[in-house]
Amino acid sequence: MTATDVVTAVLVPLGALFTLIGTIGLVRFPTLLNRMHAATKPDTVGLLLIITGAAFQLPDVRSAAPMFLAAMFQFVTVPVLAQTVGRVSYSRGMVDSERLVVDELEEAVRTTRDDD
Amino acid sequence: MTEGMDTSSAGASTSAVTTRSAGMRLLGRLPTVLWLTLMWVVLWGDPSPGTVIAGAVVGSLCYTVAKLPHIPVRLGFRPWHALRLVGVIGYDLFRSSVHVAFHVLWRPAEVRGAIVAVPMRTDSDFLLAMVSGGLSLVTGSLVIELNRDQGVIYVHGIPIESDGAVDRLRRQVRRTEELFVRAFGTAEDVAEFERGDLGAQGEDR
Repeated sequence: MTATDVVTAVLVPLGALFTLIGTIGLVRFPTLLNRMHAATKPDTVGLLLIITGAAFQLPDVRSAAPMFLAAMFQFVTVPVLAQTVGRVSYSRGMVDSERLVVDELEEAVRTTRDDD
Repeated sequence: MTEGMDTSSAGASTSAVTTRSAGMRLLGRLPTVLWLTLMWVVLWGDPSPGTVIAGAVVGSLCYTVAKLPHIPVRLGFRPWHALRLVGVIGYDLFRSSVHVAFHVLWRPAEVRGAIVAVPMRTDSDFLLAMVSGGLSLVTGSLVIELNRDQGVIYVHGIPIESDGAVDRLRRQVRRTEELFVRAFGTAEDVAEFERGDLGAQGEDR
């Protein structure tokens, strides 16, 4: 077992663990917004770790390039998805206000309505 | 002063769209086509001339079919600050993942969050888009709404139990904004940001 094998052996299971926890969070968190957190962050880290771990097994940098493209697209698309779902769920009133310590958006919406 | 400059540049760009010559239009599209070509070559994993030409053709075709709008990108780039940004975002991403992972396993039903409004100090569309993207990616935060007129960003964060955590989230959002502005803002953006920063500090006191 070489040094690169050790790196792979550490990174890939660790990435899989993060992804697993993210998925468990998706099931266990009670609200949609919390689920979005669980679905986005640990999964991104997990994918990044798996990709990095797998890249160490490749013969040269050239064959690793598409994997880093995959990581890049993950970084670009995940925030868009999270933001869209978050926004739609909020505007449709699917956010449980009892689980929020502060909700300054609600205050802002109310002020705007009063103005109209 | 800034508003005046913005409207004048917006006016200039709309008139430029109609009067710009075909050559100029081609030149403006070149970076996107080059980028698409690069993606193509990387995906094929083979930088031979045939692949490059095929990529350029496909890229140009996609560009024509999709009728992508030409947006004048006004961004700066400071390598040192960009490196700092990558470091901080990477660290935040990892830390927030561990944080969220812990709460997934330990009493997820009791986790509470908060939605805070954070006024942004920059007024550049690109920077705002980058900041909200970066925020949604990390720091246990999720951008829900962006009030473009007032430049206010609404962020949902977990886990938040107290007012202290709310303040921490607010500080984190502001720090992320500063990192993005310093890494990718033009000199104008940075100057405007610093003016807004001084104004915000004055309000706090």
